[in-house]
Amino acid sequence: MDNQINDEMIRVTDITSAYGGPLRRKWVLKGASLTAARGECVGIVGANGCGKSTLLSILAGTLKPESGEVIYYGYPAWSDRRAHVVRAQDKQNEYSTTAAGGGEQTGKGRVWCHKDIFRMMTGYVPQENPLIPELTVYDNLRLWYPDAKQLKQELEQGFLSLLGIQNYVKEQVGKLSGGMKKRVSIGIAMAGTPPVLLLDEPSAAIDLVCKEDIRCYLQAYIRRKGTVVITTHEESELVLCDKLYVMKGGKLTPIDRDLRGADLVKLF
Amino acid sequence: MKRRMLYLCMELNKTLRLLPRMLMQAVLLMVLMGLIAFGGVRSMDREPLAVSVDIAVAVQDDDALTQMALGFVESMESVSEFCRFRQVSEEEGLALLAQEEVTALIVLPERLVDGIVNGQNPSVEIYFAEHAGIEAVLFKELTDAGASLLNVAQAEIYGANDTAAEYGFTDRLRMMEMEIDGYNLAFALDRLALYETRQLSVTGQMNVIQYFAASAAVLFLLLSGMALYPLMQPEAAVFRRQLARQGVGFGWQDFCQWLCGFVSMGLIAALLPAAARFLPAAARFLSAIAKILPAGMETVGEEPEVWTQAAELLQRRQNAGHMGMSVFLIVCSLMLISTCVYCIYSLTGSRISGILLLFVVSLMMIYLSGGLAPSIFLPETMQKLGGRLPTAWLIRAFGGVFTGYEGEAAAECAAGICGYTILLGGCAWLCRRRYDRLRV
Repeated sequence: MDNQINDEMIRVTDITSAYGGPLRRKWVLKGASLTAARGECVGIVGANGCGKSTLLSILAGTLKPESGEVIYYGYPAWSDRRAHVVRAQDKQNEYSTTAAGGGEQTGKGRVWCHKDIFRMMTGYVPQENPLIPELTVYDNLRLWYPDAKQLKQELEQGFLSLLGIQNYVKEQVGKLSGGMKKRVSIGIAMAGTPPVLLLDEPSAAIDLVCKEDIRCYLQAYIRRKGTVVITTHEESELVLCDKLYVMKGGKLTPIDRDLRGADLVKLF
Repeated sequence: MKRRMLYLCMELNKTLRLLPRMLMQAVLLMVLMGLIAFGGVRSMDREPLAVSVDIAVAVQDDDALTQMALGFVESMESVSEFCRFRQVSEEEGLALLAQEEVTALIVLPERLVDGIVNGQNPSVEIYFAEHAGIEAVLFKELTDAGASLLNVAQAEIYGANDTAAEYGFTDRLRMMEMEIDGYNLAFALDRLALYETRQLSVTGQMNVIQYFAASAAVLFLLLSGMALYPLMQPEAAVFRRQLARQGVGFGWQDFCQWLCGFVSMGLIAALLPAAARFLPAAARFLSAIAKILPAGMETVGEEPEVWTQAAELLQRRQNAGHMGMSVFLIVCSLMLISTCVYCIYSLTGSRISGILLLFVVSLMMIYLSGGLAPSIFLPETMQKLGGRLPTAWLIRAFGGVFTGYEGEAAAECAAGICGYTILLGGCAWLCRRRYDRLRV
């Protein structure tokens, strides 16, 4: 890996995605592409239903694209080529590769997935909180942190303590407010401290205090060289973005990061 | 693997937390079903429907012998049980028949008994109402049977006369006639000597209470599935995919959910033997409550002894030697019920529609399988359909707890239940895969 590739954390190339059967096929993404470097925050804006969440699902590995490539840290996660099997060597984002079938071209038109890359590289905060409401916050976190010691450490002095989760760790999730649930969702996404955080409208339907807390948390994460891809309608979160893309017609177009209000809406 | 086990533990943890609520809901359902059964107990315990046939008899003369014969027939137990005779003139009888106040009119000719004795056999005319019902059919059967008996008796007497004349035993004819009369009277008065007594039951080997207890248990468990929706309804697609991404596959997630549902179903099923034990006490309690109910409803609680008898019957196992087989079949049945509930939640994908569909499907299946009224009373097509439904196998399996199991029947029952479990499990799996594909 050369330095240039190492600095580029995410490369998304010509991603396409569609819903429905062969007769009612609706194309949502028609060749979306973006790049993000280490320690960079990339914002995606666009009208409702334009495909932002679909793109994030693909980046998180929970939805399969029709075609295109998603590359994390130089290693293909979704790809038309089955190139490498990647294995983590340690927890410091050092990876090594071993050849699998010599990196051959296999299966024309087939998109290959590498679940391990998604798992190691990304944390995903969907719009809907992936929580079990009947369980406590601790139990929910425990599901995503198989190592109890690591969880305890995170709660005491890690990312989870920054989110303030330790204060209500014994509460039942079903009884928490929307903002608290969102914090737990972010905490879950941070299990294994991934270098990329994907957030799908994290500030939707939460109060101002919580929005501010999440913003501060994201700032801290970016300062620690984390990469963030965020879909949002909130100006306070747009401020964090180093790059801004607008999603329109299934494609991503880079725009000026300082655009706000009516000027921004015109582009939707 | 660790993450999979962790997920299973979390699902079991969730089950434990929800268990008190689910058990409470199941108890509530049981009380509700018990109250319905309690209200309906009088209809189970009532006397068979009494059919009363009103017959008009027109005697064309005041012959003393005819009057005597009529009196004899009227006093016969088999006739007096459901026939009421009314002596009228022929015109009056026809008028009553036209008004449908009597079921039939018998017109007895002059010198009837003399005619029978001397072999002239004068015909008796019987008129039925135009829209004759079940009473007329019964009366026709009775008169046909009487006429046949009379024919046979006459044939015997004529035969004896001819034989005695042929062989010159006319002096012993009187004795032969008395013997023939003796036989005929014996057959007529003690008809049971002619017939084999065989008891047939629409509920098979089970008695009525056991049959309805088995079907009520199946219905109760199926409806208890409504309380299991937090365990068995599909999780949000986002959550499922996140888990799949972490290495907890869809198949394992589905299995864990089903397993928790099955465990809960087992615990709910444990309420059933407890309920059977508390049946008399509950009946006494309900009787006490019934006494303070508004006027007209106090009869609801009049018969607690029926419930005591029911509890005794339920606890009396006719073949107690098949404990292992009972346990095996009940476990299989619980698996089938859990799978059925799971399949319905997978099919609908949402809570309200799942609960509604489960309610409707459970009631329909139980009805068609003869759980509400034995299937013999249903139309033939429904009987055939009902016999093939999973609930039919389940009622048999639960009924076996009371009657015991025979090897071949038990194997057939187990095969039916396992077959349906696999079929419904497969359907659920397909539904969940479709659900996973559709939702983003």
